[in-house]
Amino acid sequence: MEKVVINGIENNDRMSTQALLQLIEEKLEEGYTDFEINACGQHDIGGSAWSRTEGKELNFYITNPGQRVGAMARKGTNIFVNGSTPADVGWLNSGANIVVKGDCGDTAGHCAASGKIYVSGRVGTRSGALMKHDPKFETPQFWILKNTGSFSFEFMGGGIAVVCGYDCAGLKSVLGKRSCVGMVGGIIYVRGNVADIAKTVSLKELDDEDKKFLKSGMKDFLTAIDKKGLADTLLDFSEWHKIEPLPTEEKVKKVSVREFRKTQWIEGGIFGDFIEDDMSIYPLAATGKGRLRQPVWNKELCVDCELCMKNCPNSAITKDDNKIYSSCDDKCIGCSICETVCPKAAWTMKNNQKEVD
Amino acid sequence: MTEVRINQLHKDDLPWIIEYDESKCIQCGKCTATCSFGAIKPAIEQRKKSCSIAEKNKLEKVIVIKQELGFDNHCRGCGMCERVCPNGAIKAVRNTDDRYSIRYRAQTGQSVKKGGRSNLNTEGRTLDKIKIGRISQMTDPSLDAVRHTFEIKTPFGRVLSADKLNFSVNGDKLECSSPLPPNRFIYPIIMGDMSIGAVSWRMWEAMAIATAYLNEVYGIPIRMCTGEGGIPVRLLKSKYVKYMILQIASGHFGWNRIIDAMPDMVEDPAGILIKIGQGAKPGDGGMLMANKVAKYVQEIRGVPKADLLSPPTHQGLYSIEESVQKMFLSMNAAFNFKVPVAIKVAASVTSVSVYNNLLRDPYNIVGGFFLDGLAAGTGAAHEISLNHTGHTITSKLRDCYKAAIKQGRQGEIPIFAGGGLGQTGSFAADAFKLICLGANGVFSGRLLLQIAGCVGNDTERCNACNTGLCPAGIASQDVCLTKRLDIDKVAENLVNYFIATDLELRKLMAPTGCSSLPIGRSDTLITVDKNVADRLDIQYVC
Repeated sequence: MEKVVINGIENNDRMSTQALLQLIEEKLEEGYTDFEINACGQHDIGGSAWSRTEGKELNFYITNPGQRVGAMARKGTNIFVNGSTPADVGWLNSGANIVVKGDCGDTAGHCAASGKIYVSGRVGTRSGALMKHDPKFETPQFWILKNTGSFSFEFMGGGIAVVCGYDCAGLKSVLGKRSCVGMVGGIIYVRGNVADIAKTVSLKELDDEDKKFLKSGMKDFLTAIDKKGLADTLLDFSEWHKIEPLPTEEKVKKVSVREFRKTQWIEGGIFGDFIEDDMSIYPLAATGKGRLRQPVWNKELCVDCELCMKNCPNSAITKDDNKIYSSCDDKCIGCSICETVCPKAAWTMKNNQKEVD
Repeated sequence: MTEVRINQLHKDDLPWIIEYDESKCIQCGKCTATCSFGAIKPAIEQRKKSCSIAEKNKLEKVIVIKQELGFDNHCRGCGMCERVCPNGAIKAVRNTDDRYSIRYRAQTGQSVKKGGRSNLNTEGRTLDKIKIGRISQMTDPSLDAVRHTFEIKTPFGRVLSADKLNFSVNGDKLECSSPLPPNRFIYPIIMGDMSIGAVSWRMWEAMAIATAYLNEVYGIPIRMCTGEGGIPVRLLKSKYVKYMILQIASGHFGWNRIIDAMPDMVEDPAGILIKIGQGAKPGDGGMLMANKVAKYVQEIRGVPKADLLSPPTHQGLYSIEESVQKMFLSMNAAFNFKVPVAIKVAASVTSVSVYNNLLRDPYNIVGGFFLDGLAAGTGAAHEISLNHTGHTITSKLRDCYKAAIKQGRQGEIPIFAGGGLGQTGSFAADAFKLICLGANGVFSGRLLLQIAGCVGNDTERCNACNTGLCPAGIASQDVCLTKRLDIDKVAENLVNYFIATDLELRKLMAPTGCSSLPIGRSDTLITVDKNVADRLDIQYVC
């Protein structure tokens, strides 16, 4: 079957997006698979379409499209845009091959889940945001010859993006500002300067697998955008890096407060020249020096009835052969039961609370 | 048997009654050992041994735990006894019939003193009647609180309006020929403002560590105010002083040491705060009871062991104009006009006059206006001041902000609001609402103690900070008690709290579509209270 040609505007009469998309749908029903669309800013061209002719893929040759070229496009769809496109190219791409010979507006490749998007120029802000990969489908790929705008690859969850950084001399970062915020999955290969990426991702060197992927992928990419001559320049791996999200445990790894005090804080503490503090911690109801009160025994009053010994909850009180009673500092918590049970007030509690000096 | 007379203090006169279950008690003594107030003691009681008539008078002695009945050692409800009891045999129970405040005054001839906040919550909190009701949906996009980046910073220091800047073009450069007053972009939360002495050395150092940690490890540019009791020279001479706002109050405590250390300082401090008044006890000066004036506190402050009552005013200042000319100028001069200088006053009916006057600021030396509301906390105050003096923060902040707007000068002298923030649970919500009403930032003290383990609350629990017997070792200078406090744990809890607060602030900024602080964005706020809506000029909803 021959190619369907649709002109988005004729004799100053512009087709609405609805009319154009419904015309495409009609032709698809009739079994057409090749479309030449000379658009006039109509949206969503090439999206959610499938071939009714067995064994034949859909081909869209588009000029001057509106937003969302190839939005929700399916596997078996090939989209060629001759020239630049506005926002949302390949939005929710679900398997199409999309080639843009020019620049793309904002949010190119947004939520792309499968298929390939090839761009021979620059892409706008938030491009590659929320790309994802469902393992039951082919990994989405998003190839960009030059650079992206700011906030690129926000919340990226999967897939592969390749930013070739061609014609980007003088740019501080080929990924714009605040790139990769919230990125949790996927890989970004990037050539050239990178700055201001999220702290939750890491910039790494390529390994052999990465190089292998780039070598074979680059050939297809450059062929598709008619730039085969750039292969040597772009395959100089010395300028490439990859970006991947940090594993969760690395994100939270921080020096502990205790470690901070011991290694970075002022040695000996800020009160060290006033107070000797070994930083030991007393429990509630402490023994020894941590007691709020401690018992004092008066030999003159003691009648050796042993009530204190018998009632001391911590068996802190003992007496020697000469009937000298004593309380063991390491056992006594200063509860004052000895004072209470003593019939002769031989035990009294001394306040052990002591202002720091 | 001892006689019981009606004038004697009885336990039902007291605010807390010890509930004790003898059948569960094993006389381990932990409760009496741990009580810092000495409010409970072992006692001997007699029990009838047998029910038989023949042995009618046979009694046996048992050890029990009894509540002490005295004004010095009554139970404050801190609950430490309940914590240590292995069997749940003892606890303090609130006495709703107490006559303590009457009995105390009647018997001692003294006014009631305490720490903490106002416990007379008759009016309810205005901030709790306000919700964040402007949610960005189709109008402008909401942001992602966790993953987007937010600029949570506010200026601390004098901001000059564009017409006061002499710009000139020099080649391809824009140059400003007029000198710029010092200004630092800091996190909108300032912590501390509690003096060495009011809190224990461990508590104070933990706050300083937490501040440094949040800055150095998390990059949250939070600042801490020293309070009026000076600053340890070791901290002053360290690089961490750049996170500290040095306070000067009417007592000028510790400033001779600061002046002495100046040549050895490696960093400028974050700022200076001239404290004129505080929200908890407006019109009063600081009050540190002698039992907390430990030796090192005496040294830093240059005073003997005595009740330290700071004068209610800086004695050299007699008017607003003089404050600006004299105090601001001196404090600016102290660090060669490189460090922003702010002032702190208790919110008052007169606050707008003060703020308006400061706004004239002919020398560009007024770097901030701290307004402290009546729900603020303190280490010691007369209850009459705590409960009956002061001004709510919300409307007064709003008044000041609107006074500046009227002159087109909002933001020129940043306003920081405080007093009772986080009182009902969410510090971030309170902070956000005050910021939307016009605050550049907020400050918090009392809450930090609760984060550290203070069990006191605003319904008469504990609040014994003035006694120096703080069972948590926070508001004490006693070795036994202070060493109950784990400095690392406290610092860690403070750090965690502010990390959580930072996230929660973003959780409020994100749905309102603000990636930077929404200072004065009162359009985000709504209230179901018509009076609040009218007074604050925010949207009434129902």
